[in-house]
Amino acid sequence: MLRFVAKRLWGGGLTLAALVTLTFFVMRLAPGGPFSKNRKISPEVLANIQEAFHLDEPVWQQFGRWLWGLAHLDLGPSTRFRDYSVNDIIASGLPWSLTIGFWAIVVASLVGIALGIAGALRRNGASDYLAGTIGVIGIAIPIFVIGPLAQAFFALRLGWVPVGGIAGGWNALILPILVLALPNIAYISRLTRSSMIEVLRENYVRTARAKGLGARRTVLRHVLKGALLPVIAYLGPATAAIITGSILIETIFAVPGIGRHFVDAALNRDYPLVMGITILYGGLVIVANIATDLVRGWIDPRVRHD
Amino acid sequence: MKRLILTALAALALTAALAPAPARADDTLDRGIGSEWSSLDPQVNFDAAAGWIMMDAYEGLVTFGPGGAVVPGAAESWDMSADGKTYTFHLRDGLKWSNGDPLVAQDFVNSVLRTLNPDTLSEKGYYFYSVVQIKGAADLANGVTKDPATLGVTAPDDRTVVIEMLTPAPHILDILGAFQIPPLHTPSLEANGTAGFTEPAKVVSNGAYMFKEIVPQSHVLLEKNPNYWDAANVKIPFVKYHVTEDVGTEFKRFQAGELEVTYDIPVNMIEQLKAEIPDQVFISPSTEVTYYSFNLTHPPLDNLDVRMALSLAIDRETLQEKIVKGGAIPSYSYAGGFDPSYQGPKMAGADLTQAEREAKAKELFAKAGYGPDNPLKLTIVTTVAEDRTRLAQGVALMWKKVLGVEAQVNPMERKAWLDEFYAGGWDVFGDNLVGDFAGAETFLAYMRPSAEPGYNWVKPEYDAQMDVAATKPDKESRNAELAKAEKILLDDMIFAPIAVEPSRILVSPHVKGWVPSPAGYYNSQYLGLE
Repeated sequence: MLRFVAKRLWGGGLTLAALVTLTFFVMRLAPGGPFSKNRKISPEVLANIQEAFHLDEPVWQQFGRWLWGLAHLDLGPSTRFRDYSVNDIIASGLPWSLTIGFWAIVVASLVGIALGIAGALRRNGASDYLAGTIGVIGIAIPIFVIGPLAQAFFALRLGWVPVGGIAGGWNALILPILVLALPNIAYISRLTRSSMIEVLRENYVRTARAKGLGARRTVLRHVLKGALLPVIAYLGPATAAIITGSILIETIFAVPGIGRHFVDAALNRDYPLVMGITILYGGLVIVANIATDLVRGWIDPRVRHD
Repeated sequence: MKRLILTALAALALTAALAPAPARADDTLDRGIGSEWSSLDPQVNFDAAAGWIMMDAYEGLVTFGPGGAVVPGAAESWDMSADGKTYTFHLRDGLKWSNGDPLVAQDFVNSVLRTLNPDTLSEKGYYFYSVVQIKGAADLANGVTKDPATLGVTAPDDRTVVIEMLTPAPHILDILGAFQIPPLHTPSLEANGTAGFTEPAKVVSNGAYMFKEIVPQSHVLLEKNPNYWDAANVKIPFVKYHVTEDVGTEFKRFQAGELEVTYDIPVNMIEQLKAEIPDQVFISPSTEVTYYSFNLTHPPLDNLDVRMALSLAIDRETLQEKIVKGGAIPSYSYAGGFDPSYQGPKMAGADLTQAEREAKAKELFAKAGYGPDNPLKLTIVTTVAEDRTRLAQGVALMWKKVLGVEAQVNPMERKAWLDEFYAGGWDVFGDNLVGDFAGAETFLAYMRPSAEPGYNWVKPEYDAQMDVAATKPDKESRNAELAKAEKILLDDMIFAPIAVEPSRILVSPHVKGWVPSPAGYYNSQYLGLE
């Protein structure tokens, strides 16, 4: 077990190292730089700014400087947001991204699994069609269409929740969480449904039923455990994807998370911020994958790692 | 499982911490500022939108009233010396900072010193050594000297600020607002460093408002400053600036009443909104001009006839009204239209009809040896912004139709586009410039070959004419000389004027006193809320 974790962490570390090295150097190949903006600035002032952010040094030296900072958990200053360091920006944005991501995954799991079970137990019944419809909508219609539609209906038409921002209080987060959860509800319900159907045909389920176990107990005790394995395999990467993939959601609903910074930083050539978010996201994905493997091993002895 | 529950509870706690904001809907003005402010450090911030926050929280020697007119700010009056090079400002009696400290003349001197100090890394120093030429400013900015006594901004006593310039500059008043020269509370900077500009409890300001709440990426909440000299006339108790990057979301927030003033209007909604709520749509010229620069080092663009033909072939009205549809105002000059006292020239052919212009264009083009049989091939470099790309495609289409030019549009990310200007790989550069104030000189000074070598324009006459203008201390005679310079510029047609870009703002009927301002000054202290 420990050996497995150590091995995976070592592999993850190597992946992360490759990721940041590649990002650092490829980013510099893109034309334009963080301060190639105002043509009115005198060359002397520009040189001062370049020097202060060490942009006048050779790229390998800047990389060394960045690694040195990383070793001290200092991700450097942002070139676009002059009042804040990259650490500050992540500290202020990450809780929002995590909050939305966490609740989206909770909602997606609960609703998705419930719909999946309902669909599998009453195949081609009303609940199955409902789950299927939600599945098609959630997977087929992109977030940047659903988001504005949800705003128009729930915020403007019905006035139940604010359109965006966080200044209106906690209920401003309801829409972003639901819209972020929707595609995952779809996937999870389809996954649960198909693996449930498979497990329901297994001999041990038939045995349990033959021994006189009630339908509800059979499903909860025996079927669900087997049926949820693929769902759990999906949840790990999905959690990482939801937390890192809320870029569109954060933009559409004006949530002050870090997803928005990622694109913005790349466009503004804010090198330190791009690096900071890259390593954070990379780390999240790796940790989520390791965690998934551990949970799967815990539930399913066949994939136990020792 | 237990751990999962704990995590769930932790996230729940985080969510619960977002208690609904205290209801102050009626006494708060909610304004949109688009993207997040790049800095709240008053000597560093260079964003126009964040400038609105600065203009509310700080006050310069002068300030800008409704419509952007220069009105007395911290200074109640000023005198100009006979040669126009020295301005003496007299501060109001009893001025105070938001924490109650007395505000003195030296606070303004310190602000200029800090802006110019290379260690501050401010991009705003050029206001003081380029837009106007304050004595000693250039040497301080370039690190030639660090001696504050060399600066031509001095405080002979607590209520007097003297500004000495190398040349007269009647437009100096346009750059003495809080955006350019907010006073600096030195004790706060010394005690807190730059954190003193971002932690509301520590920020000391002198404007009509002071900081109450700063949430990165979300909003800034300002509240009325009781120590402001004119606090009695500040009608709105709170102003909240909201970050909303997506213009579609911002529009919906306006519809829902979450915002009372927007930062922009979705371009595809303009027509409908103008029909439905005309009194809430404010589309007015800003100080941003769009023009298409020709690369004078790429033949045949060194030929004036070719440049003239290309410029005349653009149907500027159709371009804005039928193709771009963003509310920009078609333009036939470069620096005219901002200062009513400036009577500048228009480009050759401006008085013709578009049909006549196109005929003339064909004639000039044929004379240069080009036409449908011998098509000219060009690249147009522009940014990826949708309206810019559409504009470039429209121009390419018109050149194709009228002159048979094969123009290829090459959209680039903004940062790459800026570097491409100096790389010089373009034939035609989709250019734009934001003026520092609503006047002709800010644009014309920028085109000086000595100031901007990137255009490869060799024209000693233009520099000479601008030098003549720079000796005139009064606006009228100066504008007359500037108009002569613009004539030289337009006659050479090193660029085709295209349009003056608009500012597009939705203002709720609850907000009173909103007057369009070309330089984009909308101080909340002059607004009312019903």
